[in-house]
Parts: sequence; structure tokens; C-alpha cells
Amino acid sequence: MSMEDYDYLFKIVLIGNAGVGKTCLVRRFTQGLFPPGQGATIGVDFMIKTVEIKGQKVKLQIWDTAGQERFRSITQSYYRSANALILTYDITCEDSFRCLPEWLKEIEQYANSQVVTILVGNKIDLAEKRAVHRHRAQDFAESQSMVYLETSAKESDNVEKLFLDLACELIREAKQNKLDNSDAAPMLGEGKSISYLSCCSIN
Amino acid sequence: MADSGGLMSVKRCDSLNSSSVSMETITALTELEDLERVYQQLCSEEKDVEVALDKLVDQQGLINTKMMTLQRMGPNLQLIEGDASQLSGMITFTCNLAENVSRKVRQLDLAKTRLYKVIQRADDILDLKFCVDGVQTSLRDEDYEQAAAHIHRYLSLDQSVIELSRQGEEGGSVDASLLMLQEAEQKLKVVVAERLDAAVAAVDLVQVERFFKIFPLLGLHEQGLARFGQYLCSQLASKAGENLLLATGGDVNEKRAPLVFAETLTLLLEGIARVVETQQPIVETYYGPGHLYTLIIHLQQECDRQAQKIVDKFIQQRDYHSKFQVVQNSMMKSPVPTERIEPRELDPVLMEVTLMNARAELYLRFLRRRMMADLEVGDAQSTTQEHQQNVEKLLKHCLLSTTMQELIGYYIPMEEYYMRESVNKAVAMDSHEKGQLTSSMADDCFYIVKKCISRALSSANIDCLCAMINHSTSALESDFREVLYNKLRQGYPATTLQDFQRGVSSAVSLMQSSLQQGKFNALGIESTEDAKAAFLVTLNNAEVCSENITTLKRNLENDCSKLFTQGPASGDRAKIDSCLSDLVNTSSKFKDLLQEGLTELNSTAIKPQVKPWITAFLSVSHNIEEEEFNEYEANDPWVQQLIVNLEQVMVEFKTGLTSASYDTLTSLMTSLVAIEMEKTVLKCTFSRLGGLQFDKELRSLVAYLTTVTTWTIRDKFARLTQMATVLNLERVTEILDYWGPNSGPLTWRLTPAEVRQVLALRSDFRSEDIKRLRL
Ligand SMILES: Nc1nc2c(ncn2[C@@H]2O[C@H](COP(=O)(O)OP(=O)(O)OP(=O)(O)O)[C@@H](O)[C@H]2O)c(=O)[nH]1
Ligand SMILES: [Mg+2]
Repeated sequence: MSMEDYDYLFKIVLIGNAGVGKTCLVRRFTQGLFPPGQGATIGVDFMIKTVEIKGQKVKLQIWDTAGQERFRSITQSYYRSANALILTYDITCEDSFRCLPEWLKEIEQYANSQVVTILVGNKIDLAEKRAVHRHRAQDFAESQSMVYLETSAKESDNVEKLFLDLACELIREAKQNKLDNSDAAPMLGEGKSISYLSCCSIN
Repeated sequence: MADSGGLMSVKRCDSLNSSSVSMETITALTELEDLERVYQQLCSEEKDVEVALDKLVDQQGLINTKMMTLQRMGPNLQLIEGDASQLSGMITFTCNLAENVSRKVRQLDLAKTRLYKVIQRADDILDLKFCVDGVQTSLRDEDYEQAAAHIHRYLSLDQSVIELSRQGEEGGSVDASLLMLQEAEQKLKVVVAERLDAAVAAVDLVQVERFFKIFPLLGLHEQGLARFGQYLCSQLASKAGENLLLATGGDVNEKRAPLVFAETLTLLLEGIARVVETQQPIVETYYGPGHLYTLIIHLQQECDRQAQKIVDKFIQQRDYHSKFQVVQNSMMKSPVPTERIEPRELDPVLMEVTLMNARAELYLRFLRRRMMADLEVGDAQSTTQEHQQNVEKLLKHCLLSTTMQELIGYYIPMEEYYMRESVNKAVAMDSHEKGQLTSSMADDCFYIVKKCISRALSSANIDCLCAMINHSTSALESDFREVLYNKLRQGYPATTLQDFQRGVSSAVSLMQSSLQQGKFNALGIESTEDAKAAFLVTLNNAEVCSENITTLKRNLENDCSKLFTQGPASGDRAKIDSCLSDLVNTSSKFKDLLQEGLTELNSTAIKPQVKPWITAFLSVSHNIEEEEFNEYEANDPWVQQLIVNLEQVMVEFKTGLTSASYDTLTSLMTSLVAIEMEKTVLKCTFSRLGGLQFDKELRSLVAYLTTVTTWTIRDKFARLTQMATVLNLERVTEILDYWGPNSGPLTWRLTPAEVRQVLALRSDFRSEDIKRLRL
């Protein structure tokens, strides 16, 4: 497959507290492995994976940002051009959940209004250490009209689903936008609440 | 013998069957003929048998002689048997003998090895004794190098041998020697440590290096490196302290002042780099490869401490954090007006921070290179991986790195603020000089964006660079593009002036006289003129921006490849490329804006004027005879005026727009003319000569338009040209000479229905003829 051979190109940015497993999620999805001795991310890392959805080639540009506070101003500069944001917390870490409103504020301030945001609770393999009840997270996500998904980068649970569902949603939005734009109304649309379809058969 | 056997079996076989012809067969024969045939056969068989018998008889003699020979061989065989058993006995004997010999050889070999070991041990014991004596004297003479060499010799002796020796007869004396050696070793270790400490305290480099070299001989690598590191650190610390004091003291050279903390940090890092450079050969020689890493760990601790001090002072004296806070507050767009900083005020501090980071980056790269080189010499493949990770960990997570990351974390929002504020200012102070195609903000904004990105680039931090490219993209795309977009949205003013130009020329003079009398609102016209100019300038600005962005991207690509010649990790390259491609996408957004603006200009400023000029075609009759045709020839009724008018309406754009934009606009105008002409022509009636007249007019128009644009306009006028062809026909059926299989190179743009429609415009063509046409 040549570099430019794709039907869609989307930018996905992962955000969330340090140590919640963003890098592990990305590596699991792009390289199919759970990296041992994963050091904290410095700045941002950049990875590309092309997937096929319903016969269409979708190129995903995945930006894995550092959660540590001192990199915040670097990561913020990537919000605006993001098509989707994966807001991640660690289900065994109450603190990472309590920081979510702060992250949402950042999104509000820096991201564009059409961005698709999904909430991810990672590390479900550590069920015995769970600190945030599933319903609590689910309710929170609903109150912010976000989709909620629980994953394990370690056990590879829901990781494919996360990225592929997101890609499907982005395709849907892109098609919708095209329709809207053809109505000779080029003004920016309102931020829509995201209705999520599990339209993909995961292949 | 085998032969005779074969014969015998043949014979037996023969006697069984006696003959190929049985008796019964013979008795059954009745015919003479048959009897004769059988007789012949039997005769020949008899002859064969006779021959065979003769052969057998011949062999008898041969067989007899062979039997005789065999009988004579019997006694010989008995002799051979005896010999053979005797031989076997001899072989067994020899074999036993050989086995005995080899056992003895093996024993001999063992004895020899033991002998060697004994000699070795004797040597070792002698060495040991020599060492004992030597150490004593060396210690007495304070020849510590020699003493250490003896101890080193002792330490490298095989410990098990020494153990064994103690069990031997001489055990007692060896024990005593060993004890003495151990005592000497301890003593030497204490003495060397004391002397090194003393040398460190006395800052006596020669002595420090002297004792530093002795440590590895005593197996004290870590200790030696630690103490030496401590010495180097104290040296660095005092120098750094002095430098920082100088930096913060009052009398700093005014020229140095703005960058004094960056310079102080540079001095520190260069100092450490120099230490590494000078000490590396010593460490490598006396400690072996792979130990530089340990020394650098010690040095880095001091580096971290000193760098932190410099950065703390920098933050304090430059009000770094409070500046950041002010910037943060004003970017939050809080409703309450807050304290603001002039972007210009940030210039020096932004410069200083990027310089500091660049120096740190350079220093860390230097350390990585040195440690890697040292490890590569030292280690087997298997361990390098782990060491490499240790090196990366040391460099990435050292305090110097994290401190710099923090500074850059504050730098980025400040640089963003600097850029946005400066761009806003450039927009606010935008000015346009008469005769210039663009206004000041187009170039000013790019100067600012370029400056900010270059500064970020000079930090040598790739994430910092990428962040600033992202912010630039967003500043250009939303802030700056928005400005141009809003200006264009105000539209190109339709003016009373245009109304007059559209009218008779006398009206112009009327207006001029009115102006002189002050009846017209001069201000109104002037501001309309300004608005027009502003619209055109904005279009040019959009075009220039689009070009500038492409240039900026190209230049940045060059700069990046120059700066990161050591080849950044491929991931870093991909990051930069991705951010740059977002930046360059902005370029086409400005192009789109330009295109929209030109379309707008065409439909608001050109179309309303051009339309009536073309409609005027209707008032010039084309249903004409010879006489009118000739008069038109002498006195052009329409097309020349149209051309003059077009020339006139375009002239202000020709001077006001860049040539590329003007060309695009002209192209839009010609399309407009073609479409309007087509509509108008379809409303007319033509005579044969009227058709000819129209053809002439169209040719003049196309010829003119060809001269004003570089775009090809033939295509745009293809339908009109074909209409003229149709209107010029002698007879209705003549169309068939040009249609279908006769069309030749001509591709008809008119549908058959349209051809009929045009034919119907001719007053002299009968509609039945047109209807009857088969197209
Ligand atoms: N048990 C378990 N551990 C995980 C999982 N995902 C990540 N981890 C561990 O969590 C730690 C942090 O993971 P990272 O992926 O580095 O976290 P991060 O969000 O990228 O952290 P920053 O880069 O600092 O923002 C590592 O020790 C991982 O091994 C998971 O699904 N299950
Ligand atoms: Mg990470």
C-alpha cells in the first residue's frame, strides 16, 4: 500500500493523566504488543496505522501525548487539529478519574467544536484493584455526552474496538459534513452531541 | 563344470520328452506327406543329440585332471590352519602390550601436568613471598604504585592454589605471608583512600590523579570513581558558584546582560564536557572501558544541582513565572481586563530560554555519544542493550532534562502569546501605500510567524518546534484568515460612480462639475474608493499569504534537515513532517479565499456593468440588408463600444490586482461575457447578412479577449462560434455539410435541438425546412 493510498485521514489524540496507559493502548493497537518497562512519554509520540473499514482505507494518525504536567503546553497545541480525542483514565486510580473534569475544560478551551471525544477506562485486567465503579464512569460519560469504553492494553480487551469504532464514527461525521456543506451553507456547524453507532464489524 | 551341469539337465529334459514328436502323433499319422515331414524332423533331432553326446565325451579328460589337482591340495590346507591360529595368538599378545604402554603414558602425562602445577605453585609461592617483601618495602618507601602492583599480583593469584598451599608442609610460612599480604592490602587501601582524600582536600590535581589510578589495582573501581567524581564535582561546583555570582552581580556587561543565564549555563555544561573529554582516556586506560558511565553519573549529579541553581536564579531575576502567569491570564480571555505584557518585552526572555535549552540539548547529545562509544568498546553485544537503556534513562530523566522541559513548558504559551499579540498588532496597524499591491500586514504577519518558529527551532527541542508550528497554523488559519475573510465579506462596493460610467459620457462631466460645486458627498466617494482598494488589497494579501506559507514550509524543511543532521529518530522526522503538512494545508485555504473573493468581485463589480452592454446587442438589428450591412461596416454599431467598455471596467483591476489574480478575474469575466452573449443572441432575429455581421462581431470580440488573458478562451466561446456558423448558412440543409459524418475535426457543443433553435433565428429559413432536418 503506498503512503497516500487512503480514503480517509483522521487525527486521533490520546490525553489523560500520567501513567493511565495511553502509550500501552497505542502500542497494543499499532504494534500488537504490551511494552514492558514502558517509560513515561516525553512530549508527544506519533504513530500511524491504516485500517480497512467496509472496504475503505482509513489512515489513522495517532498522537500519544505525555500526561505529566510539564508537557501540557506541548500537548495542548495538538488539540485544535484533532478529529478525535481519547480521554483516558485508570480504573484502579481514583485520582485519574477525578481529574477528568479538568481535562474536559482543556478540551473545551483548545479543541475544535466538532471533535469526537470518547472516554476510556483502562486496566480492567486489574479488576480486584478497581477504584472507580463502572456505573459511575458510565454516568459521568453520559452527562458529558461521551461514549464510554473500558479497555485493557495488557489483555488487549476492547483496544481494537476502541480505535475501529472511533474510525467508523469519524467516517460517519465526515460524510455528514460533506452533506451539510453541499447545502451551500458554509458556516461552521454547531458542535453536535455524538450519537454512537457500533457500525463496524471488527475485522 | 557349470556347463556340464547345464547339459545334463538338458539331457534329462530330453529323455523325459524323448522327442518333440510323440509316438501317439506318429501312429495317428495317415498321410505320406505328414509322415515324411515327421521323419525329417526326427532325423534332424537325432543329429543334434549325436553332436551333444560327442561334446560330453570330449570333456571327460579335462574333468579327470581337475580331480587330480584337488586331491593333491588336501595336506596343504592343514598347514595353513596351524599358521593362522599362531598369528591370532601373537596379535592378542601385542594388543595387551600396547594397552599396558598407553596406560603408562597416561600416567606420565598426569605426572607432567602435576609437575607443572607444582612449578606454578612454587612460582606463585615465590611471587607471594616476593610480593610480601615487595609490599613491605614499597609501603615503607611510600611507593604506592609498586605496592598496589604487588597487591594486584596477589589478588590475581588463583585463590584455590593459595588455599591448597596452606595445607602443604610449608603451610605455616604461607599462612604468615598471606596474613601479611592481607594486612598490607588493608593498609594500602586505607592509605590510598586517605591520601586521595587529602589530595582532594588540598586540590592537588597531580596527587588526585596519582591515587585515582591506584584504586582499580586494588579492585576498588567504584570507590575510585566515586572519590574522583567527588573531586571533579567540587571543582565544578566552586567554578559554577563563582560564575553564577558574577552573573547575578551588578556589573554585568550590558551586552551580555540579556543572555547572562544562558551563558552561565553554557559555561557549566562546557566545563563538564571538558572534564569528560580530558578524563575519558585516563578512565579508559586505568579502569577499562565501560566505566565512563559511572563517572558521568557522579558528574551529572553535580550538573543537575548547579543547573537547578542557575535556572532558579533565572526564574527569579527574569520574573519568568510571573510573566507566564500574566500571559496565561490574558490568553484565557477573561472578561475582566487584566494586566497585559507588551510582546516586545518577552523577546529577550524567550530568546534566553531557547538558548538554554539548545545548550542543554547539545550537552546531553555529547554525553550520549561519549558513553555509547565507551560502551561499544567495552561490552559484548548482549549487555549493550541494557547499558543503552541505562544511558537513555540517565539522560532523559536527569534533573537537567526535566528542568529544561519545564522551562519549555512555560516558553510555548509565552511564544504563542507573543505571536498572536504581534499578529493582532500588525493587523491593527495595517497600512497600505498607494501603488503597492499588498498592505503591510501580509508581510508583517509572516515576519512574525517566521520569527517565532525560528526561535522555537533554535531551542533544538523537536516537540517545542512542533508545538509552535501547530500554533502558527492555528494563528494563520483562524486569526489571520478570519481577518481577511471579514474584510472580504464587506464586499466590493457598487458605487454611484459606476452608475455614471454606465451612462453617457456627458454624465461624467456633469458629475465632475457637481463635485466642484460640492454637491456630491466627496467623503462618500472617497471612502467608497478606499473600500474598493481595500477589497483588492485583501485579495492580494490572501494570494501573498498562500505563497508565503508554501515558502515558509520549504524553508523550515531545509532548516530542520540542517539542524538535525545527525539524523533525528525517524519518529521525530515524521512528527515534524506531519505538523508541517498541516501548516502547508493552510496555504490552500487562503487560495480558496482568494478564489471566492474573485468570484464575488466578478459578480458584484463586473457582471452588473457587463450585462447591459451585452443586452445593447438587442437594439442593433441583425435582420439587415446590404445597405445596413455596409453602414455597420463604416460605423460599428456595438462591438467596438463593448470592447472599450470592457477595457475600461477591467483597468482598475489590472492595476489593483496581482497579475495572477487579474488573470483569474479576466477568465471569470470572459466566461461571464460568453454566457451573457449566448442568452442575448438567442433573443435576436438574423438575416443572412445579419449572421455575417454577428460572425464579424464575434471574431473581433474573441480576438480582443485573447489579448487580455493568458487562459485560452476559444473553449469558452466554442458554443457561440458554432452559433455564428449556423447563422451564416446559405440554406437550412447546408448544416448537413458540417454535421455528423461531415463534422471533421469539429466537435459540436450544440445539441441538435439547439441547432434547430439557432436556425430558427434566421428570418429567411422556413420552419418546415428546419423541422424536416434529420440531425
Ligand atoms: N495491568 C495493566 N497495566 C497497564 C495497562 N496499561 C498500562 N499499564 C501499565 O501502566 C503503566 C503506565 O503505562 P503507560 O502506557 O506508560 O502510561 P501513559 O499514560 O502513557 O503515561 P505517560 O506517558 O506518562 O502519560 C505501565 O507500567 C504499564 O505497564 C493495562 O491495561 N493493564
Ligand atoms: Mg505515555
